[in-house]
Amino acid sequence: MSQEAARDAAAGRPVQIHDPTLRDGQHAVRHSLGAEQLRAYLKAADAAAVPVVEVGHGNGLAASSLQVGRARLSDDEMMSIARETLTTSKLGVLMFPGWATTQDIKNALAYEVDLVRIATHCTEASVAERHLGFLRDEGVEAHGILLMTHMASPDQLAEECARLVGYGATGVGILDSSGHFLPSDVTARIGAIRAAVDVPVMFHGHNNLGMAVANSVAAAQAGAGILDACARGFGAGAGNTQLEVLVPVLERLGFRTGIDLYRLLDAADIAGRELMPAPPTIDSVSIVSGLAGVFSGFKKPVLDIAAREGVDPRDVFFELGRRQVVAGQEDLIVEVALALRAARDGGSPAGSGTGSC
Amino acid sequence: MQATGRLSVSVLGAGLIGMDLATKIMRSDCLDLRLVAGRHDAAELRRAARRGLPVATGGIQSLVDAEEDFDVVFDATNASFHAEHAEKLAASGAMIVDLTPSRVGQMIVPGVNREDIGSHRDISMVTCGGQACVPILHAIARAHEIDCVEVVTTAATLSVGRASRLNLDEYVQTTQDAIRWFTGVEDVKALVNISPARPAATFRVAMYLRGRDLTTDSVRALVTRAADEIRTYVKGFGVSVCTVNDSTAFVSVEVTSSGERLPHYAGNLDIINSAAIQAAECYAAGRLALAGRETA
Repeated sequence: MSQEAARDAAAGRPVQIHDPTLRDGQHAVRHSLGAEQLRAYLKAADAAAVPVVEVGHGNGLAASSLQVGRARLSDDEMMSIARETLTTSKLGVLMFPGWATTQDIKNALAYEVDLVRIATHCTEASVAERHLGFLRDEGVEAHGILLMTHMASPDQLAEECARLVGYGATGVGILDSSGHFLPSDVTARIGAIRAAVDVPVMFHGHNNLGMAVANSVAAAQAGAGILDACARGFGAGAGNTQLEVLVPVLERLGFRTGIDLYRLLDAADIAGRELMPAPPTIDSVSIVSGLAGVFSGFKKPVLDIAAREGVDPRDVFFELGRRQVVAGQEDLIVEVALALRAARDGGSPAGSGTGSC
Repeated sequence: MQATGRLSVSVLGAGLIGMDLATKIMRSDCLDLRLVAGRHDAAELRRAARRGLPVATGGIQSLVDAEEDFDVVFDATNASFHAEHAEKLAASGAMIVDLTPSRVGQMIVPGVNREDIGSHRDISMVTCGGQACVPILHAIARAHEIDCVEVVTTAATLSVGRASRLNLDEYVQTTQDAIRWFTGVEDVKALVNISPARPAATFRVAMYLRGRDLTTDSVRALVTRAADEIRTYVKGFGVSVCTVNDSTAFVSVEVTSSGERLPHYAGNLDIINSAAIQAAECYAAGRLALAGRETA
């Protein structure tokens, strides 16, 4: 499509930017963000008029755990700081059924969160039925979003999104949790979902294969009305779609975001300075993770365990991909690493074996 | 009780759990399956009828209206219905074995507290993850000073039925409550994943325990012993990893199904149903021994 044709297609259509820098970015720093870091970025994003800002542990409400990592701040502390700091941006939180419960949602509502996202794996929308129903009854804006969506076809995702709307979701969307998609994959999926639902459709990219901005543009052009992006791409693995790149790119294409460019760039500079030791990069392990279709958040635990067991983290990622692990199954990393080490050493895995461990 | 020396048994609920329970009861020497009651004239129920099982479609009312009283009723419905079911069955004197995560009755994990079965009319089989982790956590917590416990369950999408999907909150809460009650550890967290992988992922439960005095040798010995005990009633139970690093024990187990009607990956259904059958058979043994003494 020529630039003129693209502009005509966008025709000033608004795209709402949803900013999970302070949630997905936690994966990159072992969920260690502190109060002053939250305040600094919240203030900057609010000043830039970013429509929605999300806070939390990397895996959302109540997800601070040994499995994924314990957060420095509690959910209550994070939501309380965000509520005090935000004046124009809406406050969002994320919740995975099975990791958090309705009780945790009730607790979040006490902080007057504006938007709750209920996340399930790509074909498991039905586990969100109760939580979306609860939020509908409470009159709180609730979106249903699907994780690990490279594991499902466009038609399956469309069907699951229609189900989410039936449960009460006022927006639906897909996460490229592994950074595996190419733009044509995104176009097909967003197109199929748009045809199946009449609520705004969201896309959340990861940058393992350098496609996050391109995939987000493809999503917008296929009709997505909500795009996730993080300052400096701060997020799991190779990072997310880079917010301060995506916004001006969308504007040049003729979409409207309502975000102030200079203040957005200021917010990104603050994020770069205050939140992270270094911005995410597409290192070799992240490329393998994206190719293998493994959740980007596995990067740090895979590196830790591979180093401890003396195996190649790239082998661990490909084996995890072969087993089709999903976000939340971090417990399989140890097993895979031990099996690889045993295969290399020609014995049975130390610390394993059915029955007599 | 039947003249045959078997207890009369009914199953309430005709979902994944209920139908597998019915199959397992048919194989039991001391349980006699008298009725499977679902709420709808579902395909599963019609198939069960074709296999010769006695079926009804009136749900709890079919049990209340039945001409006979049942010695044991398995409730394989939904957590939010269990209290009402227990109340409606109270007059019949039936022992109720609850497969939902309702937290109403006495929690039973056969490898740990079999002896509590006879003294309660409503027993809870906790959750599938609870059945898999409690014996191991209990064994380790008795021998070591444990500060916190975390359990992560992963089940294959095809093995998780509608009621279980609606009951994820109860699943998490009930599993946490059971771990606290059986181990005495307060800092407890339970998580559950449903895996969309194809071919399906085998049911898996991973456990983390933090405690300064944990050692690899001790934990391995305790886990091996607990696993051997569980395998006496859950054949497909296996330990896949057992390690201690930095004062944290990590134990993961997989359960494959040995039920002929269940796919091999559905160990979640197999373990809770095998535990429920084990509990009912313990109850039957107690009843039958008592009856034997009375007639003698």
